[in-house]
Amino acid sequence: MFWEQLINGLTLGSTYALIALGYTMVYGIIQLINFAHGEIYMWGAFAGLFLVTVLGVNIFVALIGAMIFCTLLGMLMEKIAYRPLRGKSSRLSALISAIGVSIFLSTLMVLLRGPNTTRYPEVLRVKTFSLGAVEISSLQIIILLVAFLLMAALTFMVQKTKLGKAMRACSQDLDASYLMGINVNRIISFTFAIGSALAAAGGVMVGIYYNAVWPYMGTMAGLKAFSAAVLGGIGSIPGAMLGGIILGVLEILGVAYLSSSYKDAIAFAILILVLLVRPQGIMGQKKMKKV
Amino acid sequence: MYKIRNKSIALLLIMALLFIIPGCGQKGSAGSSEDVIKLGFLGAKTGPVANYGIPGEKGMKLAIEELNAKGGILGKKVEGIYEDNKGDSAEIASIATKYITRDKVVAMVGDPCTGLTKVAADIAQKNGVVIFSPGATGPGVVEIGDYVFRNTLLDVFAVPAVVDWMMKEKGWTNFAIITSLNNGYSTALTPVFKEAINKKGGKIVLEDSINDGETDFTAQVTKLKRSGADVLVFTGYYTEAALIMNEVKKQNFDITLVGGDGLYGQDLAKLGKDAVEEKVIFYCGFSSDQPSPETEAFLKKYREKYGEEPDMFSAQYYDAVMILAKAMEDAKSTDPKVFKNELAKLKDYLGVSGKTTFLPNREPVKSPVCLITVKDGKFKLLDKIEVNVQ
Amino acid sequence: MDAWFAQYVDAYYLRIMVLIGINIILALGLNLITGVTGQLSMGHAGFMSIGAYTAAILTLHYGTSFVLALLSGSLMAAFFGFIIGIPTLRLEGDYLAMVTIGFAEIIRVFFLNFELGGKAVGLYGMQQYTTFSMVFILVILVVVLNWQLLKSRYGRALYAIRENEIAAEACGVNTTGMKVAAFTMGSFLAGLAGGLYSHYMGYIAPQDFGFMRSIEILNMVVLGGMGSIPGVMLGAAVLTVLPEMLRIVADYRLLFYGALLVILMIFRPNGIMGDMRLYDLKQRLRTKEVKTCRS
Repeated sequence: MFWEQLINGLTLGSTYALIALGYTMVYGIIQLINFAHGEIYMWGAFAGLFLVTVLGVNIFVALIGAMIFCTLLGMLMEKIAYRPLRGKSSRLSALISAIGVSIFLSTLMVLLRGPNTTRYPEVLRVKTFSLGAVEISSLQIIILLVAFLLMAALTFMVQKTKLGKAMRACSQDLDASYLMGINVNRIISFTFAIGSALAAAGGVMVGIYYNAVWPYMGTMAGLKAFSAAVLGGIGSIPGAMLGGIILGVLEILGVAYLSSSYKDAIAFAILILVLLVRPQGIMGQKKMKKV
Repeated sequence: MYKIRNKSIALLLIMALLFIIPGCGQKGSAGSSEDVIKLGFLGAKTGPVANYGIPGEKGMKLAIEELNAKGGILGKKVEGIYEDNKGDSAEIASIATKYITRDKVVAMVGDPCTGLTKVAADIAQKNGVVIFSPGATGPGVVEIGDYVFRNTLLDVFAVPAVVDWMMKEKGWTNFAIITSLNNGYSTALTPVFKEAINKKGGKIVLEDSINDGETDFTAQVTKLKRSGADVLVFTGYYTEAALIMNEVKKQNFDITLVGGDGLYGQDLAKLGKDAVEEKVIFYCGFSSDQPSPETEAFLKKYREKYGEEPDMFSAQYYDAVMILAKAMEDAKSTDPKVFKNELAKLKDYLGVSGKTTFLPNREPVKSPVCLITVKDGKFKLLDKIEVNVQ
Repeated sequence: MDAWFAQYVDAYYLRIMVLIGINIILALGLNLITGVTGQLSMGHAGFMSIGAYTAAILTLHYGTSFVLALLSGSLMAAFFGFIIGIPTLRLEGDYLAMVTIGFAEIIRVFFLNFELGGKAVGLYGMQQYTTFSMVFILVILVVVLNWQLLKSRYGRALYAIRENEIAAEACGVNTTGMKVAAFTMGSFLAGLAGGLYSHYMGYIAPQDFGFMRSIEILNMVVLGGMGSIPGVMLGAAVLTVLPEMLRIVADYRLLFYGALLVILMIFRPNGIMGDMRLYDLKQRLRTKEVKTCRS
């Protein structure tokens, strides 16, 4: 049973990781906890649902379609709710603005679709493979694979392209990057776009995996993913991936071997303990305090 | 200049706020309580338990429409007020207070959930207004006071009969129980099931828990698969039941899920599709397969008005309004102080949701218990069990 | 006084006013932590629930007097604030936010499994000991104490930590000690509000103190104006009344609520009343004419 539970945990963790990446990238550049990110993930899931059920497209096309939709949604959100605040207000007011956007987006979905859980159609035939005593479903393999591919693509983009270089520069020092001729606004907008696309991918995959989406799914997933980002060291991209996977595995193993009643408490307690020992998170860098 | 403008915008906003409050206060108190009888609807139209509230509201509207078509109660028009409490306890308290003090309702119909009903019942009792819940099945409701009523199939009566049925008819003896921890209905129902199973000599092989609103049940289902249980008792709501069964199907094994009337929501079949097909059984006090003429007429009217199938909540809200109307007619009064006594005497009332009698302690007895399963995406009556309570 | 009051104000208004009072106490508590000292706490509802449950369990199961229960609830919350505060306040900014969120979630899960607290059903049947006059007097008391604190040496030290922690430390402020003190006081007020709340509603359940509740309290502080007592009071009042008012627009109310938060932040990024302190307000009223002329 242990190996099956581990695979369950890895699958859950990889969806957390996809969402956590958006938190960590945005935070790395503008130090904003983008509370609406969980809602973007939810909208991504519904966009995928719309494409599959109404337009009847192939699931992989729907995945890409949902990612494009959320890219635009993320950029729009940044432009309307965050950009006007940048520079002239404290980080906390940006946070409240993000909370406002989050409430707005989830309520809008409730108005459009009703508050109830909607079934995600079975777009993939589920096969179960047995490896000895361990069973793994084709769905889990696909989710792990897609998540891995997306994360590899992101790492490549951040490390090897010019745009990625600009993003890294911005996360180190926004003002200096501006002086070096980087179009900071564009980079920020781009960061939101990438993060939102990844969240959308996470949303669609969660939809396929659990056969269900609902308008409030973003709140708890967002909270968990944010914890994952902090656990891994907020601002660090590999940290978010690792944090997501660790959190997912811990949660599942907690249910399997400790107590399902205290599931969320266990996850958060471990998070707090890690932070107390290593305040910058697992892979975060310690920042010098400057006067 | 810029600064000034900002400040004036803020000031304007605040002023606007302060002026609208008294404004909206006036609206509610218009129309005297003398010539209309007002009934307040309690239930969620949005939020996680909206699946109980929305059909309930439809049932209540239908009942009020019918009453008015027949000339109202004691010659007075009946008016329903429908606020959305979102399944939130602070919200329902606020709404109940508003209904009583502002709208001057004589009775409130709702809430479908036990916990929320208790909150509103407390307020209703203190203010001397009748509250009638068409959904609260858990313990400790009517004990709040003599203004509190309900017309539901109580878990303590139904569960022993259902457990008996599972063991005798189906031969299931090893039980797994899953509770939804953040669901008051579920945490109250689980001990009832456990007691009944232990009493009848069944064995509980696995006890586990989930939370409402979660979607990942992989760990619990993997555990269930290895537990050797014959049947899964799930005490929560329909959404999670459907998701658990989806996961069971994905993990490729075969088990039946049994639960209470919390599973009674059309979404069960919509979400579960073939995963719940004949694999979910629950008990409740209403089935559209019951052949009674009252139910027949109700089904027809409901389908005509809304173009969909009614469920237990629409039927029980409908009945609640009708029972209240009957009590007012019999008492020849619309004063809650007077007609509540008439209400308590209800005996063998044939409603659309079965036969209801109030015991001396005002607890309802409904018979029979209907066992419902899902077939071809619809709820189908599987069996009926007579319940005898003395 | 309450009976006299009830003659003129209907119960619905009275209820909203009591809730405003409770929210003011809550928000002023968080204001000490987040508004004044600048430590982002997103788990204020957790401390509120400790106070609410402690007080409710004491009056329900042990028959203690309300005042004693209220005090115990507040002290219990303060105690937890202190315990949590010491290790976590070494963390900075958003890590602290995460730990407070986590702590509030742990508390919530604990109450979900807590037999004495009624698990998911929660506790009900508490007598309505909380009255309008009591809340009114407590609010005045809390405001006055807050005001006195903030204009004292300690208050200025707290503000200094928010503005620049290192500089404050260099000036001889015991930053860790001050932060823990602010956290403890904030938690005390949260516990007080919790006790009042549970004995006003007569019913509490773990889900009443979830993450959204903490966010709501944070909104009150930021919207009204961080660090400003009149601002936070206004924020608490507006955010209590707003959902009631928006009930007219029924289904769209949360949509408006969300949009309003964004709009307010764009036009008033520092909250409705910025960093305005009671003292400034007095000053401003006095110099109003002069100022209008100048601009």
